[in-house]
Amino acid sequence: MANKGWDEFDAGAILFSFNDKVDNIATTLAEDRPYSPSNSFTASVGDWRIEKPIFNKDYCIDCQFCWIYCPDVSIIARDKKMIGIDFDHCKGCGICVEVCPTNPKSLLMFDEHKDDDECLAGWPEKDEKEK
Amino acid sequence: MADKMDLLDVEVWDGNMAASQAMRQAQIDVVAAYPITPSTPVVENYAGFLANGYIDGEFVMVESEHAAMSGCIGAAAAGGRVATATSSQGFDLMVETLYQASGMRLPIILNVVNRALAAPLNVNGDHSDMYLGRDSGWIQFNAYNAQDAYDLNLIAFRVAEDHKVRLPAMIHQDGFMTSHTAEGVLTLSDDDAYNFIGDYKPMNAMLDFEKPATYGVQTEEDWHFEHKARQHNDLMTKVNPVIQEVFDAFEKETGRKFDFVTNHNLDDADVAIVAMGTTVDTAMLVADQLREEGKKVGVLGLRVIRPFPFEKLAAALSNVKAVCCMDRSAPGGTVGMLYNEICGAMYNSANHPVITGYVYGLGGRDMTVEYLKGIFADGEANAAAGKPTTPLQQFIGVRGPKLNFL
Amino acid sequence: MFEIRWHSRAGQGAVTGAKGLAEVVSTTGKHVQAFAFYGSAKRGAAMTAYNRVSDKRIINHEKFMSPEYILIIDPALIHTADFTAHEKENTKYIITSHLNKEDVIKSQPKLEGKEVYVVDCMSIAMDTIGRAIPNTPMLGALMKISGMYEIDFFKESMINVLRKFPQKIIDANIDAIQRAYDQVN
Repeated sequence: MANKGWDEFDAGAILFSFNDKVDNIATTLAEDRPYSPSNSFTASVGDWRIEKPIFNKDYCIDCQFCWIYCPDVSIIARDKKMIGIDFDHCKGCGICVEVCPTNPKSLLMFDEHKDDDECLAGWPEKDEKEK
Repeated sequence: MADKMDLLDVEVWDGNMAASQAMRQAQIDVVAAYPITPSTPVVENYAGFLANGYIDGEFVMVESEHAAMSGCIGAAAAGGRVATATSSQGFDLMVETLYQASGMRLPIILNVVNRALAAPLNVNGDHSDMYLGRDSGWIQFNAYNAQDAYDLNLIAFRVAEDHKVRLPAMIHQDGFMTSHTAEGVLTLSDDDAYNFIGDYKPMNAMLDFEKPATYGVQTEEDWHFEHKARQHNDLMTKVNPVIQEVFDAFEKETGRKFDFVTNHNLDDADVAIVAMGTTVDTAMLVADQLREEGKKVGVLGLRVIRPFPFEKLAAALSNVKAVCCMDRSAPGGTVGMLYNEICGAMYNSANHPVITGYVYGLGGRDMTVEYLKGIFADGEANAAAGKPTTPLQQFIGVRGPKLNFL
Repeated sequence: MFEIRWHSRAGQGAVTGAKGLAEVVSTTGKHVQAFAFYGSAKRGAAMTAYNRVSDKRIINHEKFMSPEYILIIDPALIHTADFTAHEKENTKYIITSHLNKEDVIKSQPKLEGKEVYVVDCMSIAMDTIGRAIPNTPMLGALMKISGMYEIDFFKESMINVLRKFPQKIIDANIDAIQRAYDQVN
């Protein structure tokens, strides 16, 4: 798109989210929507990450904090249950980890190139409060 | 459903009322406005029509002119017919949003009742605010009297909203000299006026839920130039054919003929005055008087300021020997805009008349018949000599020692 | 073409009077202008309003004029305003005053030798309309002196111009027009 000439744009720098007309878009899952190339959904920013968030469902209470706070809509939830992370759009900011209220946290940041199973295997224990 | 108003064939309206009535007949969806002299009655009359059931749309009261145009932009992007009015400092405050409106290609109609810019504070008419808006990417129509203010509003809606155009348009009228001068205005019936403009046809409406649009995107070095180029291309190539179509349709409807430039007896004239606003009318009166004395003089009125009609202007001036350009705005350290543009239009044409400039009428200072006779006399001397017999820039009607430059 | 200049105070209705006259003139097929010098005038400040009337379309937008009629609707303005500015040799003056013509001219020597008519529009307005708005009676006086229109036609036309007002106010204005028409001399 960046190489388009002046005569190839819509007048007014108007951008459309979808390629075609859409119906009931609110009830259509993101991956099923006909997003246009100018919509950020079609752009991957995964390679911006230095660290990645890893989700451990053993501790998650589905409070939805991460889903609410994620600035890039990269927390994938279905039926109000957290199921994972959209690594095409997550930039590794760590806000989800910051807001996670469980003990231990259900989301933690790890080196981008560290193996996921290795990350889960080394998950910390519950942090006992000092008496 | 809005009530219809029975109008006389000729109503005695001032320029403000003429604009308000045309806006009422257009059945605008949203007017967001903030009042300022001398344009206040445009929106005040309009609000009265709405309160009395003559309009179905919304009137949004806002806290500033910046907010007024911002409201218009939002409503136009959402997908409705939109208009407002302003003057002077209000126009200044709107400038930031004027560029947003044109950049987003929103067909907003803005009645600009031209007034001086402070300091010093002055409520009277000159063209300083009009000049301030001339690079903003809007279409600019120029009214010489109340009739024009009415007609050009009807024309402007149809031009701006055409899908080939989709650009905002201003209708300029002279503060007080037009806006507060009541004169006979030939009217169209509500039905005829509305049908002339036509129903609003949405395009890329933000509130189209089947195809939502993003307005006001950010473009950096890699895209910005292309968008501005597209906008300029459309101003230079797409707008004028549509204006011509609408002028033609309007003449068919009303018998009143508009052109990009008003050519008053220029074909065999030696001397032309080029002007805008009420001065065009008064200069035509003076030119007719001088014709009776056998003097070959004419007048060119700039009807469409933007897009600037280079070719039509050069053609209208193709036989004259001297041109006197009248700028009603302090040029701030250079020549007046009209002087500059007309030199630009004539430089590469076959005819090279002597071109001189006049700065006049600032803050509402009267442009009289006597002054205009003097300017025509300068032009005749220039035409006879084949070169300027006066400095290139003269101030007319200012007290104190004669003020000339260049 | 003939031209009229009104001398008034802001709030006395000169602009409304000039516009009312314009509406009447327009219905007779003539062309007309009505305008005023405004500025940021406060109620009570001296101001001027203007009419042009012509058989042809009026394209003169200069504010300068040498009027055929000068209408002074506030009694004090003959002492404070430059009301003879740009007069013609045969300019007619219609002046609101409680004094008679001789005393008006005695009080303002500039009026000597000019065609002067006097009518007490202020008292007429107070008696009929109940407010110091001497604009419509001045139009009655103008009809008498200028002979522009028959007074009955003019009153009928003004009823139409004033149609948005309550009947009581319309009647009072029409009464004021007739009284000034009868009394001006």
